[in-house]
Amino acid sequence: MNMEMTARPHSLLAEFQTPADVMAAAIQCRDAGFSKWDVYSPFPIHGMDQAMGVKKSQVGWFTFTGGFIGFFSGMTMIWWMNQYNYPLVVGGKPLFTPLYAFPVSYEMTILLSAFGTLFGLALLCGLPRFYNPLFRNKRFKKATDDTFFICIEAADPKFAQARTLLEKTAAKNVELVED
Amino acid sequence: MTWFLSLLACAGLFAFSSVSVGAAAEHDTAAPTVHTDASTATTNTPEGTSDHHEAAPPSLGQQFLYSYLTAYMFCLSIVMGCFFLVLIHHMFDAAWSVPIRRVTEQVACLIPVLGLLALPLLIFAPSVFPWMNIDPATDHALNVKKAWFNRPVWTVILALIFSLWTFMAFRFRSWSIAQDKDGAAIWTRKARVQAAWGIFVFAFTLTAVCFSLMKSLQYQFFSTMYGVYYFAGSVWTTLITMYVVTLWLSQPGRPLEKVIFYRQKHDLAVLFFGFTVFYAYIHFSQYFLIWNAAMPEETFWYVDRERGSWKWVGMLILFGHFIVPFVILLNQDIKHNLAVMLPIAVWAWLMHYVDMTFNVMPVLYPRGLHLTLLDPLCWFGMVVFLGGVFWKNYLKAAPYPLKDPRLLEAITHHEIPAASQPAAHR
Repeated sequence: MNMEMTARPHSLLAEFQTPADVMAAAIQCRDAGFSKWDVYSPFPIHGMDQAMGVKKSQVGWFTFTGGFIGFFSGMTMIWWMNQYNYPLVVGGKPLFTPLYAFPVSYEMTILLSAFGTLFGLALLCGLPRFYNPLFRNKRFKKATDDTFFICIEAADPKFAQARTLLEKTAAKNVELVED
Repeated sequence: MTWFLSLLACAGLFAFSSVSVGAAAEHDTAAPTVHTDASTATTNTPEGTSDHHEAAPPSLGQQFLYSYLTAYMFCLSIVMGCFFLVLIHHMFDAAWSVPIRRVTEQVACLIPVLGLLALPLLIFAPSVFPWMNIDPATDHALNVKKAWFNRPVWTVILALIFSLWTFMAFRFRSWSIAQDKDGAAIWTRKARVQAAWGIFVFAFTLTAVCFSLMKSLQYQFFSTMYGVYYFAGSVWTTLITMYVVTLWLSQPGRPLEKVIFYRQKHDLAVLFFGFTVFYAYIHFSQYFLIWNAAMPEETFWYVDRERGSWKWVGMLILFGHFIVPFVILLNQDIKHNLAVMLPIAVWAWLMHYVDMTFNVMPVLYPRGLHLTLLDPLCWFGMVVFLGGVFWKNYLKAAPYPLKDPRLLEAITHHEIPAASQPAAHR
């Protein structure tokens, strides 16, 4: 039984020394049209989003949907309780008006917007995910210290060109990560 | 040239007004004014039975003074909004707003001009403010507020506040200009100290001025939130004004071409969006608390504003001042789409004017919205006049703080370093 024979390639990992090198390489990856790849850095690099060609986040739509549902469910809840299920006159006020239902609906808007944001973000990031083959790679540990990485996954349709491209960049080391 | 024309226009307006205001003053001494009647009626019967009063149309002088007051409160909003932007810039040691700070400093220095423009309101105050014609002994609501609401004290307070504002605004500008020469950090430090105590002065004095000039039109009213309400609308209008001014000044060949980037416009638009919500929050809170407590000495103010077509003006403020801009500005990218932002800017100015009208004009026209030619004339004259003075001052000094310690950070911080990119890509 040979583990080497059954291991499938997971990705190509390229190691860089400076943010400028990794940014220049990211631009090349973006222009080569890779789709399943990522950059790892110990700190945020301004301009990396544009260099990678990352599109605007879609999380806002989850936030909006959550807020929308929150507002109208708050209004409906109060209407149902005060006007329909248990009508009770308080302080000579109407049984239902959006005026007094507003503070609660407003809180519901915020609550469900926050839920939408949190769960929408998790969904779009593919979370929860308990394991990634990169965790086994010894060099990759330096991604939280002083080294920058570009990782192109084997699932990328253009994976065959990946090694050629990465070796042409300022990468110090390019290695295959196995599953 | 524009500046000269605007001066002419204003001179014309003043000449025109002085004739009719003279007539108004006579009318006032002869008989109590229309709106005095209306407001005493409201005191006695706050639930709003003053409809039986046959309101005679106001005299031309009075109409002018009210149109003038509405325009005045509009212009004061933007000047004080810019003053506020200078204050918070220094308080928070901000970097992003350095390139636009000279513009806000120069607008804030229009305060003494506004002080002069307030003179007609001070001189003909009894034609504007009904309480000046009432004996406090006969009116409980006025009697309890007479320590402030009597003509000498009221006038002196306004004069003191405008002097203090002028002092502060001029110090901010002179320190900023001094830094253009030597780039010393001491000027930033001085401004920060003034901003720290100045923000408290700003909060109390702006409240006092809008109580004096706008809220006291219906002196019986109580609302501690009124100052914040005026402030929220003011800064809202100021931010979109600054957005347009910044955009215009950063076009090729104009003074701010090399220092204004995506970031300044983005931050101004985001703050504008924030104040859209803040204004709605404050105005809703004022309305909601008064509605919930249902005390006649507070509710009458809104009862007056739900009469006749004023109700629809209120609805216009609800939808036009908040809901429509809010929904449009939710989208992040739209904050850079000029085809949307420029119409919104025009709309925001209109909405703020409507808001001021909603506060001032129901006193003169209790039965509903009534526009006259004097409204746009006063507004236009004052805006063009102040704009002209601003432009003249702005050209005298450097267009932005040349040697501010944070200037470099402001213009480079979030931009992609060119060196890290291959030439082919940028």
